[in-house]
Amino acid sequence: MTETKIALVGNPNVGKSTVFNKLTGLRQKAGNYPGITVEKKTGSFTYQHTKYQLIDLPGAYGIHPSSLDEEIVYEVLVDKNNPNHPELVVVVGDPFNLKRSALLYQQIREIGLPAIFVVNMIDEAERAGISIDVDRLEKVLSTKVVLTDARSGKGIDSLKAALQYKPNGYTPAFSIPDEYAAVTQQVKEQLAPANDYIAWLYLSQKRSKHLDATASSEISAIRQENQINYHRLQIHETMARHSTLDRQLANVLKDPAKKRENLTARLDDLLIHPVWGYVVFFALLMLIFQAIYTWSGPFMDAIDNAFAWLAASAGERLPDGPLNGLLTDGIIAGIGGIVIFIPQIAILFVFISLMEESGYMSRVVYLMDRWLRPFGLSGKSAVPLMSGAACAIPAVMSARTIENDKERLITILVTPFMTCSARLPIYIIIIGLVIPQERFWGLDLQGLVLFGMYVLGILAALGSAWVLKQLMKTDYKSFLILEMPTYKYPVVRNVLLNVWDKTMGFILGAGKIILAISVILWVLGSFGVDDRFTNAEDIVRTERPELSDEALENEVQSQQLEYSFLGTMGRFIEPAITPLGYDWKMGIGLISSFAAREVFVSTMATVYSLGGTDDELTIRERMASEINPNTGRPAYNFASGISLLLFYAFAMQCMSTIAIVRRETNSWKWTLIQLTFMTGFAYLAALMAYQLLK
Amino acid sequence: MSQHQSINQLRKGETATIVGYLADEIPIKIYEMGLLPGVVLTLKRQAPFNGPVCIHIRDNPNAIALRRSEAALILIETLS
Repeated sequence: MTETKIALVGNPNVGKSTVFNKLTGLRQKAGNYPGITVEKKTGSFTYQHTKYQLIDLPGAYGIHPSSLDEEIVYEVLVDKNNPNHPELVVVVGDPFNLKRSALLYQQIREIGLPAIFVVNMIDEAERAGISIDVDRLEKVLSTKVVLTDARSGKGIDSLKAALQYKPNGYTPAFSIPDEYAAVTQQVKEQLAPANDYIAWLYLSQKRSKHLDATASSEISAIRQENQINYHRLQIHETMARHSTLDRQLANVLKDPAKKRENLTARLDDLLIHPVWGYVVFFALLMLIFQAIYTWSGPFMDAIDNAFAWLAASAGERLPDGPLNGLLTDGIIAGIGGIVIFIPQIAILFVFISLMEESGYMSRVVYLMDRWLRPFGLSGKSAVPLMSGAACAIPAVMSARTIENDKERLITILVTPFMTCSARLPIYIIIIGLVIPQERFWGLDLQGLVLFGMYVLGILAALGSAWVLKQLMKTDYKSFLILEMPTYKYPVVRNVLLNVWDKTMGFILGAGKIILAISVILWVLGSFGVDDRFTNAEDIVRTERPELSDEALENEVQSQQLEYSFLGTMGRFIEPAITPLGYDWKMGIGLISSFAAREVFVSTMATVYSLGGTDDELTIRERMASEINPNTGRPAYNFASGISLLLFYAFAMQCMSTIAIVRRETNSWKWTLIQLTFMTGFAYLAALMAYQLLK
Repeated sequence: MSQHQSINQLRKGETATIVGYLADEIPIKIYEMGLLPGVVLTLKRQAPFNGPVCIHIRDNPNAIALRRSEAALILIETLS
């Protein structure tokens, strides 16, 4: 059986991913392009004895990229050695923007790639009274044209059949302008690209990543020598193509009725109204928030119980010893720590996909741009920031759609300040301990403080974004040119596939690191060289003969933790955390919760010899009676409690976020700057709070 | 030719033709989106406090949002 590689290319909002999902069904997977983090979707299907490997390239308006996503399209299509370089391109367009899609199509043909053309959303066009002269369009584009309505599946079979079509006899629609002919020729001679148009692209692109350093510097030299501004070349080409296409496509669209659907206009009257638009948006945010907390609750409990049961039964069946501990407390607990986030991530992405699919997301960008711009962010940062209130990991991933490098980087760097759900268990316990259960102006004081913590997160995110904006420089001008498509009823299949992709991406990407860290932490917490570690049971038995068996076991565990490597580390950092009001036991909690914030609670349970309890009430009672050996006062008093709250609000206590930031920025430098900045800021804030309040 | 207006001077509901640009260095996306000389557009909405504007190109159901700073780069002649 032969195998053919196909690339799906098209403008945003033409229903390209619906076409992709219809063609491949469930035989698809998400991955990353090598070296960068733009998501890659591939899939396969078989039709009449030919196996097709399909790649869904990011949406682009033309071959000249203005974002990381779009750069992929250029690289994959121009570089013959790219592993994803296709044998056939399927360009997807929509009837309302035929000219734009045809422009991209012509660029692809002129690169030298065979391509066929799909006009999708044909039903919507018919409803609007538009008809398309397919014969004429086929003549203009010199290829096969297929009309589809991917939502209903209409035309998908004709599209599959059309993949056998061998386009030929294409005449370039764009000829290199005379004034640039000589310099294009020079590029052609020096770099030997396949044709004149690729030479022109080398000259007119900001960069061509697939070229080596020598070739790139040759291009810069040629540009400098001839005083060529690549941006102007792009504009020249785009305008020339548009005016040619205006003539070519003049009679392709028949648009007699001029019936326009006005549902979108009526919805927009409400959804992007200067007042009501914001009311609806914030109401929706509240709904998402509530959903992430409440709907995920039962699932998270079930997962928690399942893993506790798994660990317990595995623990019983295996012989005692380090292997047992590694499996139950290291590996099973580690995997549990990954799986527990799935409900929240899935729910968040259900909402995000619904907003994207329906066309509402672009309205959010429109509404929020004005308010985020002063902080060096764009309207498109609204999505990562609000998702950060659930979990920073999917939030950081969702920053990919931001074109401007600087805005994207700032968004990624500040998103972890938003109060994610993992901070909640700590906040609830500490607030319960140190904030009195009183009413303040008729409002519950503890609830108010919790709300305050959320506000603090937003302020920290926006404030540090503003600081970063002042410090960072960029060659790119920030801009917002955003298409707001007509509203569409979401395709359930697309939503589900997207949720599945994102969830798997989290499990496979960040999950590995979470697992590794929990194993490392287990090793640190389970081994030690001190005599009080190795002979813990004998020592406790002699020192405290009065203890019952269970109390003895808990006491032994507690002492072993104290003298394990982790405990040694906790005592080692004690001088650094004493000014913040913490003792070495809390130090252990800080270190172990570096993996993930919520680990703090379970670690404190072990430290306070409560065995493996996760019950918040038990832990809270025990914590309330704990005395800090350095000060002789309760360990969790008002000052140290506030200090702890502030520390967890600002510190980057999440290995998974660090991992995902590293992946998304592709830079250790920015990842480390973020880690240092957040943890340093957290330390100072906690220090000031404790010193002022104690 | 008289001093040209930009999209920024349009009032809600007004229709105009694009006649050119204020500067050379404008984002390629403006061209790719089809905001080209000769194109007829209508200003549909404005986000509050100098937020983005929302325009419609004639015969296209999709809207385009632009920041004021981009809107200022696109020169127009109003049709009345």
